[in-house]
Amino acid sequence: MSKAIQALQIRNLRKKYSKVEALKGVDLTLPQGEIWALLGPNGSGKSTLLKCVVGLVKADGGEIEIFGDSPSRRRKGQIAFVPEVENLYRWMTVRQAVDFTAAFYADWDGARVAGLLEFMGLDQNKKVSSLSKGMRARLKLVLALARKAPLLLLDEPFSGIDPASRDRIVEGIVRQFKSEEQSMIISTHAVGDTEQLFDGVVFLDEGTINLQGNAEDLRNQYGKSINDLFKEVFA
Amino acid sequence: MTRFFRLLRKDLQASLLPLGFLSGIALIVMLFTRVRISMGSWPNEAALAAVSLPLVFLPLWLLWQSFQTLRIEWREDTVYTLLVLPLPGWKVMLAKLAAICLEYTILLAVTAVGALIFFAPQVQQAMENLPSLLWVIRNFSLVYLFSLGVLASMVIFVQLAFVVSKMVGRVQGLIAIWTLFLSSWFVEVLGALMEPLFRWIPVLSLDRLFRLDELRAGIVFELNLASEIGSWLGILALFVLTGVLFEHFVEVSG
Repeated sequence: MSKAIQALQIRNLRKKYSKVEALKGVDLTLPQGEIWALLGPNGSGKSTLLKCVVGLVKADGGEIEIFGDSPSRRRKGQIAFVPEVENLYRWMTVRQAVDFTAAFYADWDGARVAGLLEFMGLDQNKKVSSLSKGMRARLKLVLALARKAPLLLLDEPFSGIDPASRDRIVEGIVRQFKSEEQSMIISTHAVGDTEQLFDGVVFLDEGTINLQGNAEDLRNQYGKSINDLFKEVFA
Repeated sequence: MTRFFRLLRKDLQASLLPLGFLSGIALIVMLFTRVRISMGSWPNEAALAAVSLPLVFLPLWLLWQSFQTLRIEWREDTVYTLLVLPLPGWKVMLAKLAAICLEYTILLAVTAVGALIFFAPQVQQAMENLPSLLWVIRNFSLVYLFSLGVLASMVIFVQLAFVVSKMVGRVQGLIAIWTLFLSSWFVEVLGALMEPLFRWIPVLSLDRLFRLDELRAGIVFELNLASEIGSWLGILALFVLTGVLFEHFVEVSG
């Protein structure tokens, strides 16, 4: 019997920054077509985990498989990554940022981007440096969601964002996510407004997974929402 | 290639402001010198100084720029964008190298045009002492290509030093200096070691290359390509190494 290929399979992933052990043997499986939340307080290792997957940091040990393959340049091109930091060229206009990103990805959907920009309320002629933090977060998301990437990794997409932008971003994700083609991990510590998005959750604390599973199963098992569970685990 | 040109365009656009500023400064210095010469305050020879000044200063600025263009990627976190691109590392580095070379060419062109506009009489006088316009174009092209090669080599050293320094968490400045030192030593040693392999290449006489005999100059320089080829291959190897390190070994800060 053939084994189903997972979107992402991580085994015993370890990473140490000088004296700090950021990941202490993390195991994680992201089934195809699902959205999983990577939950944890600041410094829990969420960003490091996602950075290891896209190759921004090198793991000290363990294995990563993306759609059954080891990380490679080809696989890199199948991941849409939104980092926590502001990685946009500030001197570019919104249009230039879109054109720049579009040039590198075969899965770029030109038809989708116009609708996304309009939905997110982004003026194409505005310079990135003149956008508010919330608008820049929206633009980062547009650049990821305008691709038909099979794997999307969003690192703290709601961090420091006003509630209006947050709602818009959640709605954008829901509208654009194609469960038959895509899988997604969203790292966040803002669980409340986003809980309805997730098929599964992973609670990460000090580089170790405390709890993981199907969101509905966890709700039934513990008799509380993921948000309440999050508060309890990290209290 | 579209992807490469998109990177190149991005690097050129990012340098537009300093490039415009420096071009403006070079032109202003020439204009100012021209006015002083016209007023009789400065001698005609000041024109040569005004043209030479940017030519001496620009390569230094461009070397600094080759360091800055990488430093800014890290400082403004745009390196996150570059590192997740599904591109070989050498393409990212080549785009930056090509941008610096283009900036050099643009600044040289601005200086040359400025010289022709502001010092037309002096240029005309100098031309009268030279064999022909074709001779001038030929020799200036040779000097340009040679200086471009030297600049590109230096930029490759700087890129390698920067990328290696980003592979360590501490003493990055010290690591960068040591990398510069070691890589230039490596290139020199490789050139010397490979020299016997290329001895069959004839020594190039610079007076023939530049046709200095037309000036009836008695000085003879020689270019020993045999010892240069090994060094060029070493520089190429360092460039490839920089690309590999950038793509596979560099990390963003945790």
